[in-house]
Amino acid sequence: MKAMLILELKKNAQDRGLLFWMIILPIAFTVLFISVFTSGVPDADQETVILSIVPGYTVMFVFFILISMVNTFLKDRDVGMTARIASTSLSSIKYLLGKWLPYMFIVWIQIFILLAFGKLVYQVPLGQPWYLLITSAVLAFSATGIGLALSMLVHTENMGIALTQVFALGGAMLSGLWMPLEMMPDFMRIIAHGLPQYWAHQELQDAMNGTLKLSLFAKATAVVFAYGCIGFLIAFMRYPHFLKKARG
Amino acid sequence: MLSIQSVSKNYGKNQALQDATLSIPAGSCYGLVGPNGAGKSTLLKILSSIIQDYTGKVDMPKPEDIGYVPQEICLEQTLSAASNLHFFGRLYGLRGKELRQRTEEVLAEIGLSKRGKDKIIEFSGGMKRRINIGCALMHQPKLLIMDEPTVGIDPQSRKYIFDMIHQLIKKGCTIIYASHYMEEVETLCDHVAFIDHGKILQESSMDALLQQHVTPAVFVKGQLSPPSKLAASDNITEKNRGHLITTNQPLAMMDQILHHYKNDADKLEQLQLVQPKLEDVFFQLTGSALRDKSS
Repeated sequence: MKAMLILELKKNAQDRGLLFWMIILPIAFTVLFISVFTSGVPDADQETVILSIVPGYTVMFVFFILISMVNTFLKDRDVGMTARIASTSLSSIKYLLGKWLPYMFIVWIQIFILLAFGKLVYQVPLGQPWYLLITSAVLAFSATGIGLALSMLVHTENMGIALTQVFALGGAMLSGLWMPLEMMPDFMRIIAHGLPQYWAHQELQDAMNGTLKLSLFAKATAVVFAYGCIGFLIAFMRYPHFLKKARG
Repeated sequence: MLSIQSVSKNYGKNQALQDATLSIPAGSCYGLVGPNGAGKSTLLKILSSIIQDYTGKVDMPKPEDIGYVPQEICLEQTLSAASNLHFFGRLYGLRGKELRQRTEEVLAEIGLSKRGKDKIIEFSGGMKRRINIGCALMHQPKLLIMDEPTVGIDPQSRKYIFDMIHQLIKKGCTIIYASHYMEEVETLCDHVAFIDHGKILQESSMDALLQQHVTPAVFVKGQLSPPSKLAASDNITEKNRGHLITTNQPLAMMDQILHHYKNDADKLEQLQLVQPKLEDVFFQLTGSALRDKSS
């Protein structure tokens, strides 16, 4: 498994596209939207807007890792690498973990950079750092777990990109990452309570503000974590089918 | 001895492999010959544990003792040759000093010692093929399974790969070599199996197979008519403005031809012993040439 970990980290370290999707684009969006939504707004309200946008866009862009994950799995499948690895004594669970963990690490770093950017540029508070650390880790686990499942389910890269947009943008909209949930219709609020983005946003926002209660932390963490577990379970069950489609 | 017995595999309604039975002597170079889509890759995937949902019995070494060289070049293009070898070495359980040492050894075996740090993307197709093979040699497997390892490469790289295979055979490694290039299989392998439409048509030692199916022949081209005794025979056919004479005693036949031209030696343009070829056997067994099937 360590071999897979090292290989994936080496590959991703050279991937400039990943840097664009994971860091540059979210920072650009954060800056753009903060300047749009704080223009002409009183200073007191500006803080509230910024405190919603920084964690909101962080959560939204975390899910763009799905594109890279789908891309790497399908590429491996189509060039014969998946089949070749399957011919070694590496078990399927170690293969999946070896591919998954580096992405989890990358997303964790991404969250750290985006929150640090918010802190340095917009002076957002990081009131409960331990809660932030754990929430970030669980969010990284969840997003990449969903990415893992998606990679095993889709047949083509285009399908993967399309579904990533649905997860990232649809989930962001429904979870109140773009605008306060209070402004949305009732049915959308109900849907939001079933989405990991909503709970991760609530956790990050409250932990940054220093007001995250243990009960919400436990509940939100459980929901977000469950998504990651389900993702891994689907990926594990789907792997034999994925391998059948592999060239080589 | 490695063996598979009555192995079948379906892809939906398509039967990729039907009741395949093979015996592969340890230490042999075993050729698996058939056109594209015949079932070779499916069989190799079963042998290398990639496909596990099949019926029948497979008696093979453990995955740790098998090296698999796929038809595709399965290398990380943006990483160096040494990094790729390291990766597969680690997958096969090598660590630390042993891993570094084997990487150096394999780079030397594939003739790329000085280019270990170069990225795969910078190599020629033939060099990539050699690294592709090298990855499967990292753990010094007892069985090497090669699926069309010379597709699309230059003659020099092909020769290099052949030399590598000869060295491996000398070291006692068993090799299963799948190809639709008959000449390669004939050059390298001592045993061969023909596969078509998912069925094993025949398996045997190379010599026995050639002797069983193809009669040797003599090709003669000259200005004299063939000896009258031969001309009336069914064993003579016209070919390339000469005559092809099939016979179980080709040397005696050549002697007879030379005698026929004894007084007109300057009129004999060509006299050649025609060795039996694997492609002829395939033709006899299937009724069509391999390249016709491939196309």
